Amino acid sequence: MSLFDICQALQNSAVGTSIRESLWTFPIIETIHILALALSVGMIIMLDLRLIGAGMRHAPAGQIMGQLKKWYVIGFGTMVASGVLLFWSEAAKCYRSNSFRIKLLLLLLVALNAVFFEIVYKPRMEQWDAGQNPPAGAKLCGWCSMVLWIGVIGFGRWTAYGMK
Amino acid sequence: MIALAVLRFFHWADDSAVAAAIRGSTWVFAFIEVFHLLGLTLLLGTVVLVDLRLCGYGLRRQSLAAVASDALPWMLVGMAVTMGSGSLLFVSEAMKCYGSPPFFVKMGFLFTALVFTFTLHRKLTKRDAPPPPVWGKVAAGLSLFLWFGVGLAGRAIAFY
Repeated sequence: MSLFDICQALQNSAVGTSIRESLWTFPIIETIHILALALSVGMIIMLDLRLIGAGMRHAPAGQIMGQLKKWYVIGFGTMVASGVLLFWSEAAKCYRSNSFRIKLLLLLLVALNAVFFEIVYKPRMEQWDAGQNPPAGAKLCGWCSMVLWIGVIGFGRWTAYGMK
Repeated sequence: MIALAVLRFFHWADDSAVAAAIRGSTWVFAFIEVFHLLGLTLLLGTVVLVDLRLCGYGLRRQSLAAVASDALPWMLVGMAVTMGSGSLLFVSEAMKCYGSPPFFVKMGFLFTALVFTFTLHRKLTKRDAPPPPVWGKVAAGLSLFLWFGVGLAGRAIAFY
């Protein structure tokens, strides 16, 4: 069974079909997917802006991160859950969409960037966070995160546009 | 009288050269829409940030005034991007918007949200002394309701 067959089977499944064919289910899930951007990417971009020194300067980055974690985890969870349902209903179409492939690739890079930050910079955060200026590498992680997330949103929108 | 002026304005927007240029291309509309979404992310993100602090559920180690003043410039950037891109989207399909109830609901929410944000809400978040918890929660709830109402009604334009 190829990856395409799996996608086709998902799309044809009872869940996939019912989301796709109902009048309200798809738009409602899509609206949740878009409005949850505020809690997920919105929060993450504010953290990134703090890391690169362009915003939220009243608080150390580590403090903001710790305090907001609960909220962007909720936002991210909502994003993934609603995104999986949308994918489920159009899996075969997504498989063929170049925008969707690029979106997934960018999400993978987002994850790698986050893991890199967690391993390399997070453990020593107490030391560098007291000063106004984070190390160059940590700043770079902030830039990468921001640019990648903007790409995810762009290619996400493009995926929907290409499927009309 | 006013209704006629409104209709004229919508026609004028729909007939403009900008509208024709956006409609004439397959990709320009989608491209502007991406910017509309990016602006929304920043705008709603900062609104949520300040309102979480205002109702006492997030960023409690910072003062309300500090969070609000830190978030303000980025909220303004988010507003500029959404409103700039939104105006272009509107112009390109003004007559469709004219016949769309959600569009007018959205404009109602937007107007109320802007007035509320820059008057009562700003007044509460600007002071050094935080407001009584009850008022903080009411103001935060109202702000979230108004701004997410804008987003919800905006999304509905595409479905009507």
